Amino acid sequence: MTIPATEEVPITIRPQTASPPTADVPADAVEDVFELSGFAAGYGSFRAVKDVNLRIGEKRITSIIGPSGTGKSTLLRALNRMNDLIEGAHVTGRASYHGVDLYAPDVDPVEVRRRIGMVFQKPNPFSKSIYDNVAWGAKINGFRGSKSEMDDLVQEALTRAALWDEVKGKLGDSGYSLSGGQQQRLCIARAVAPNPEVLLMDEPCSALDPIATLRIEELMLELKKSYTIIIVTHNMQQAARVSDKTAFFNIRLDSKGHRTGYLVEFSPTEQLFTSPKEKDTEDYITGRFG
Amino acid sequence: MTIHRDSMAHFHQELEVLENKVLGMVDRAEQMVEMAVEAVIESNVDLARTVVDLDDEIDATYLEVHERWTSLMARFQPMGSDLRKMAVLIQLSTTFERMGDQCVNIAKIAQFNEGLPRVDRICDQVREMGDLVRPMIRTSIESWVRQDLDETRLLPAMDEPVDRLNANMYKEMVAVANHPELLEWAAKMILVSRALERVGDQAVDFAEQTAYLITGVRSGFDHLVAGSNDADIR
Repeated sequence: MTIPATEEVPITIRPQTASPPTADVPADAVEDVFELSGFAAGYGSFRAVKDVNLRIGEKRITSIIGPSGTGKSTLLRALNRMNDLIEGAHVTGRASYHGVDLYAPDVDPVEVRRRIGMVFQKPNPFSKSIYDNVAWGAKINGFRGSKSEMDDLVQEALTRAALWDEVKGKLGDSGYSLSGGQQQRLCIARAVAPNPEVLLMDEPCSALDPIATLRIEELMLELKKSYTIIIVTHNMQQAARVSDKTAFFNIRLDSKGHRTGYLVEFSPTEQLFTSPKEKDTEDYITGRFG
Repeated sequence: MTIHRDSMAHFHQELEVLENKVLGMVDRAEQMVEMAVEAVIESNVDLARTVVDLDDEIDATYLEVHERWTSLMARFQPMGSDLRKMAVLIQLSTTFERMGDQCVNIAKIAQFNEGLPRVDRICDQVREMGDLVRPMIRTSIESWVRQDLDETRLLPAMDEPVDRLNANMYKEMVAVANHPELLEWAAKMILVSRALERVGDQAVDFAEQTAYLITGVRSGFDHLVAGSNDADIR
């Protein structure tokens, strides 16, 4: 499989898949979406994270946890080449997506970002209507359908984001008119509108109240029937509630005092939060440091 | 919610208090076993009454432990070895509360049997069971305090003679079948034997919980009784 560097990519609404809950799928039956091998990412002379070796399975929720400054968000953004937009950003090692090197010269970063969508920490709807917020995501990714087809796409995306019933009568209202939790679900709708395969979420609930947080978590569990989800979170209970596997990152200081994040442990979530393999993980989740 | 070191330090202080409360229950239960056996063998109704009173203390601690446990879970949502310890402590509080109940059962039989004719051989056997069960409780406590996995594995072998003596009690009952004046007393002593056998099982359960706390792997000790491979405990 290759990721074509085409200028126009036809967007179609993928029908809701009827795949069974992933918990019923044997571990060895899950296909890897990402494979990171000796991967490192940083900015200029600074290495935010290094020595990352892990595989991320399809239609699973993978959580990335760890203290601040361990390069979790840098790693997440490197997975859809969002870091390319930051001057001086660089990666080494290999990050493959369905076996294709994400950083190969012939890979189009725009197409990478279409297939691997992102939801940010703070809800960031555009200064547009609810309808246009969702339609924009599809339009910039080459949607060429009719108005009617766009209407269907917007409805489908809002439905997937569990927001349709709340906004169907006011699609022309500003995205800013929604509550924080609704705005974040609007951003999720915008992210799924281009029909990605993967959703990267960078602390998507950190600005939300507990009820809105639970709505997003329920939504994540629903979305994983169709998407592979990777979430960076500081909320360990959230990671424990929603994810199938969890990666714990910590900081290593070199002889010059430079701090670099590294992967300590990548385990099934239940194991990591009850009987972690590594002492550093145990110390972190029991609050003995961090 | 980020877990802060300070708040978790507070959690660990409260967890230690909770642990001491639960260990206090088993300390008390160990003492009650000795008193209950003495009371039933010597027909000492005052001692039996003391056992019943001590069980009220265990019951009160049991309720306090559950309240503290619920509060800790609600406030801190512990993870890792802290979560395992919480899971084990709530289980052990129930185990020790039932240990106390078994002692009360024995104490009540001591009160019931007062003045009835008795058989020394059966009394000796009950005393022997008590002498076997109390070291089991003590070994379980020490293996917890030292977090010693090897020590926890001693318990199944220690429990075997208790089970044998309990099984033998029925033979003793048959032996007195031709003495109707002894039957009522002997029938009650079967219940005493059964209660001590249960206390032995509870001591084994304590050790199993300790092993889980140490290893993070749930694995009963049944396989150790037959001396089979215990490689599944890491």
